[in-house]
This record gives sequence, C-alpha cells and structure tokens, in this order.
Amino acid sequence: MSTILTISDLTKKYRHADGDIYALNKVSFAVDKGDFVTITGSSGSGKTTLLLCLAGLIQSSGGTVQFQDFTITSASDSQLSHFRKSKVGFVMQSFALIPYLTAAENVMLPLAQAPMSGRQKQTAADEILRLVGLENRKNHLPKELSAGQRQRVAIARALINKPELILADEPTGNLDPTLSTDILDLLSTINKTQNLTILMVTHSPMAAAYGNRKIHLKDGEVVA
Amino acid sequence: MNLTKLVWLEFKYHKSQLITGLLAITLGVAVIVGIRSVSVVSEKAVAINLDNLGANILVLPQGANVDNYYTADIDAPTFPEAYVEIVATSALQGVDNMSPKLTRRITVRGQKLALTGILPKNELASKPLWQKSGLFGAGAKASCAPGAATDNGAYKDEKLLRKSIDAIEEDECILGSSAAQRLQLKENDTITLEGGGFKVAKVLTETGTIDDDRIFAHLHTVQRLLGIKEQVSAIEIMGCCNAITDGLLSKLRNLLPDTKITTIGQIVATQVQTNKLMNKVSLVFLVIILFVGGVSIGNFMWANVNERRKEIGMLRMIGFSKGVIYRLLLAKALILGIMGGALGYIIGTGAAMWLGPQFAQLAVQPLPQLLPAALAIAAVVALLGSAIPAYLAGKIDPFINMQEE
Ligand SMILES: Nc1ncnc2c1ncn2[C@@H]1O[C@H](COP(=O)(O)OP(=O)(O)OP(=O)(O)O)[C@@H](O)[C@H]1O
Ligand SMILES: [Mg+2]
Repeated sequence: MSTILTISDLTKKYRHADGDIYALNKVSFAVDKGDFVTITGSSGSGKTTLLLCLAGLIQSSGGTVQFQDFTITSASDSQLSHFRKSKVGFVMQSFALIPYLTAAENVMLPLAQAPMSGRQKQTAADEILRLVGLENRKNHLPKELSAGQRQRVAIARALINKPELILADEPTGNLDPTLSTDILDLLSTINKTQNLTILMVTHSPMAAAYGNRKIHLKDGEVVA
Repeated sequence: MNLTKLVWLEFKYHKSQLITGLLAITLGVAVIVGIRSVSVVSEKAVAINLDNLGANILVLPQGANVDNYYTADIDAPTFPEAYVEIVATSALQGVDNMSPKLTRRITVRGQKLALTGILPKNELASKPLWQKSGLFGAGAKASCAPGAATDNGAYKDEKLLRKSIDAIEEDECILGSSAAQRLQLKENDTITLEGGGFKVAKVLTETGTIDDDRIFAHLHTVQRLLGIKEQVSAIEIMGCCNAITDGLLSKLRNLLPDTKITTIGQIVATQVQTNKLMNKVSLVFLVIILFVGGVSIGNFMWANVNERRKEIGMLRMIGFSKGVIYRLLLAKALILGIMGGALGYIIGTGAAMWLGPQFAQLAVQPLPQLLPAALAIAAVVALLGSAIPAYLAGKIDPFINMQEE
C-alpha cells in the first residue's frame, strides 16, 4: 500500500479576543491509497477544519500536509485551485447543487473548463450518473429530486474529474437513516471498486463503522 | 457544459429580476438616443431651412418667437394680413418680394400636420409693385437672398417649384411628401381639412425639412376654415442684402411697429444655439445617466452575487479560480449591458420618431449609426458598474458551504 497523504504536526490556530483557539493541534497521521478514513469527534473538535486544511482551502498555522509529492501547506493559490480541480472531489452535508442546472449539468460542472467536447462531457456525466443510480434523472433540476438523490448527484459531481481523494463532510448529516445507508453503501462501493481514497467526517457511529481507518479528534488533537 | 453555457443558464434562471437591472441603463440609453435622433434632424433642418426658405426677413407677431413659426401652435399669435399692403404701398426700397402665411397645426385622419395658407404667385403678382420684380419672374436671380441662386441641386429645383406655386385654387391643396404618405393621398385625390373639401393639386418631392409634413392651401381658404379672418402668422420677405445693411429692418420696424422683425440669420443663429444647448444637455444627461446606470447595474450584480454566495463558494471549492469567477460575472454584466443598450436604442428611436412630429414638426428617421455607440456605452457602463461586485465575489470563501448553515 502506498501512502497518498501525509499529515505532520498540522496546527490551525484561530485568533480570538477571548484567547486563541487551537482548532487543530499537532495532528499527524498518514493515509494509504484506497483507505476509507472516517473522522469522528464531538462538535467543535476540529473535523471540518481538518478537511479544509487538507484541501488547502484554509491556511494552516503550522505543520505540513503532503499529497503524494505535492506539499499542500506551501502551495500557491492557483496551484491549489488546480489541485482541487484535478485531484479532489468534495461531498458536503448541504449538497451545494446549483438550482438552475439539471442533474447532468451539475455533475459536469467540474469539467466546465476541461478541454473536452460537449459530447465527451455528456458521456462522462451519463456514465457517473449510472454509477450512482440516477441515469433516469439526469435532466431533472435539484428541486425535482429527493434529498438522497441530490446527495447522489453531489457524489457524482465529486467523481467526474476522476479524483484521487474524496473529502466528505457529514455527507449523511441531512439524510434519514435508510437514505444514509444507501449513500454510505455507495461511497463504500466506490472506495472498493475504484480504489478511491475517502476521508469522511461524521457524527454517526453507524457511518464511522464503514471506515477501515478511524480517526477520532478531541479538542483539535487526535486520540487513538 | 462550459463557462458560456453556465452564464447563460444562470441568466435565464434569474430573468425575472432582469427588469430592475436593466431599467436604468435602458432608460438612460433611450433618452440619449432620443435626444440625439431629434437634434440630428433639427440640425439638418436648420441647414436646409436656411437654404430653402427663399426669404431672408421674417415678419412675426409681436408676441411670437421663432418656435411659433416652426411649430405653429394652435394659439400662436397672428397679425392682420393688411400689413402686406402697408409694406407694398410704402415704396420701401429693397423689398423684392413678400409672402404672407398662416400656419396652424391640425389633425387630419389622426395625423398631426401643419396647414399653411399661402398666396399663390398670380394673386400676389397682380399687385402692382410685384409685377415686374423678383422671384416670380425669370427664376430666382432677383436678389441676394440665401439659396436663391438657380444651381442644379435637386431640392433647390423643388424649392423653386414650391416658391413659384403659380396658382392654387381656393379648393386645392399641395401636400409635402411625408404628409401625402401619412395621409395616403396622391394627386387628384380629395380630402377634407377643417371641414372644407380639397383636391390634391400636387405632391411635393421630399425636401428633408418641416415642409415635408405640411399641407399648403390658399391663404384665404385657410383663414376662413380656421376662423382667423384676414390674419396671418408670418410674412416672409425677400430683401436685398444691401438694403438690409442699409437699415431696411429698422424701416420695416417703423412701418409695422407691433410686429417682430427678424432676419433668417438671426433665426438660424437661435436655432443653432438651441441645438448646441440640446447637445450640452444631452452630454450632462449622458454623464448622469451613465453614472446612475452603472450604479444600478452594480447594485443588481451585487444582489446577484449575494444570492449566489454558496454557489460561487462551491465553484471556488471545486477548483474555479478567482479569474474564472470574475469572467462569469463580467460576462453576465456584458449581456446586461448589450441588452440594455439595444433596448434603449429601440425605445429611444421609437420615442423620437413618435414624439418628433408631434412636438417639433420634425420627421425623425432611425439613426442606425447610433446603435453601435449605444451598445458600446451600455456595455462599458455595465462592466464598470459590475467591477466591484465581481471583485468581491472573488473574495467569497471557497469553504462557505462547509461552515455556514
Ligand atoms: N473562522 C473561525 N474563527 C474562529 N474560530 C473558528 C473558526 N472556524 C472554526 N473555529 C473554531 O474551531 C473549532 C473547530 O471547528 P470545526 O468547524 O472544525 O468543528 P467541527 O468538528 O467540524 O464541529 P461540528 O461537528 O459542529 O461541525 C471550533 O471550536 C470553532 O469554534
Ligand atoms: Mg464540521
């Protein structure tokens, strides 16, 4: 197993008038390619902050994050944009779909600037929508889809650029238990069939059970 | 799916909001195009009028201004036709020719036109003083009046045609080209004007002046029909230039103390001044309107950006750079600007064509050369107004969807 992500002494300090907050404090762990990592911890323990640092969406205060041979913590803004566009897929609690785009169009969004023909993009979207079981909903607007279906569209959008890493922040947080299981099964399938590395933040022990690696955060620190 | 399609789909989705974004810029461009369309025509009209009038002195009622002469309002003042006689019998040196006129705006078949009563050559010429002199004789070489030379320009020939209307019967009328078109009349047709029946004796060819919207008829018929007995609204006088410098004007003023006597030069100067003022006003308008239009589009774009914060944050998160966000928003602004410019051009031109004939007796034509300018100005204004909202959109946190509710 090759290491895909190395996090060493990652620290994120928020300055605040009431005293500095260490949202992350010397977090270190490594992720192998194909791992399904679940990150748990109570509210405010730093889970979201960790994902943001891994994606280079916020600047860390100390430590390094290394993705293969790319050092996220010292990359420029445009390098990070490129990194997110080509290597990372995001799935969020709020599905963050664009209301005026159909399912297929939302899925194609990450390819907007890709040097592909419209037909190629369409084919890619069809393929991914079939994977998430929505091939017959591709021309539906988000408002015409159920919550579970919306999250599937979001997952399809995260997959279309063939990323190497999926970062998911409570992807089942807005879904009832049955739907949650569906989505978790889907993520698990993708993890296994495509050997795609997933880091998933979750509150639910049931969801956490899906991971083969479990990270638990407490006050910004990893507890075993 | 590409960036253009993304802009377009968003644009369509929010089209119900468009009216607020477009209102100011559209109205702004409309006002500018409208003013410009009218003033271009009126500038041309001045130039042609000067050349075409064939007279160089105007006798107007005391209370009248030059605008009354052009627009012929319903309550425009008049003075007795007998003044023609006074001048004619005064043996004043240097008066080559006279033409009394009574003009009123009338509505015929729903069309607003000017009805002008004139005395035909044969009746004026019957007056002893005119018999041997001036314009009605061998062409218009009699005087130094502007445009009186007989060169070969087409409309000058037409002018001479009109000026030398030999005879017009009391039940005949002569139509300007545009008047004939608007009333759908041709020669030998009949028409009722102000309750009197007329035969169309002639349709004049186009001159590009307000005369195109005029109906000429016999002065005495017009007086009778309008109930303005023995009154006229102007006397056009052809005076010799030397005589004018020798004090012909003051002699005329002594002769007709309760009238206003001006030279065409003065009238044209006034009109040119009015046009200059119009241009200045439209420049001020331009600046104000562009400012208001820019602010209004900027405000609209800012509302749009705020409504789309999560969407923009998500795009940033999945790897759209700030530059791409700017492009998305400025492309939208460009569409807005071009739409506003085009709509403004259409509305402004339409308004000028509709209002021009009603208020200024000017037949306004669309000016296609204003369209590119309207589009360019509106586009630039829209882009400038949207610069700040676009810049702020680039600053939206890419992780907004992860941290906010
Ligand atoms: N922008 C910020 N400024 C200051 N403090 C912040 C900021 N963002 C997060 N924090 C603090 O950092 C800590 C970790 O926040 P984070 O969002 O990572 O928690 P979390 O584990 O994702 O919680 P939850 O399960 O509720 O989503 C919290 O104590 C929070 O108050
Ligand atoms: Mg969180």
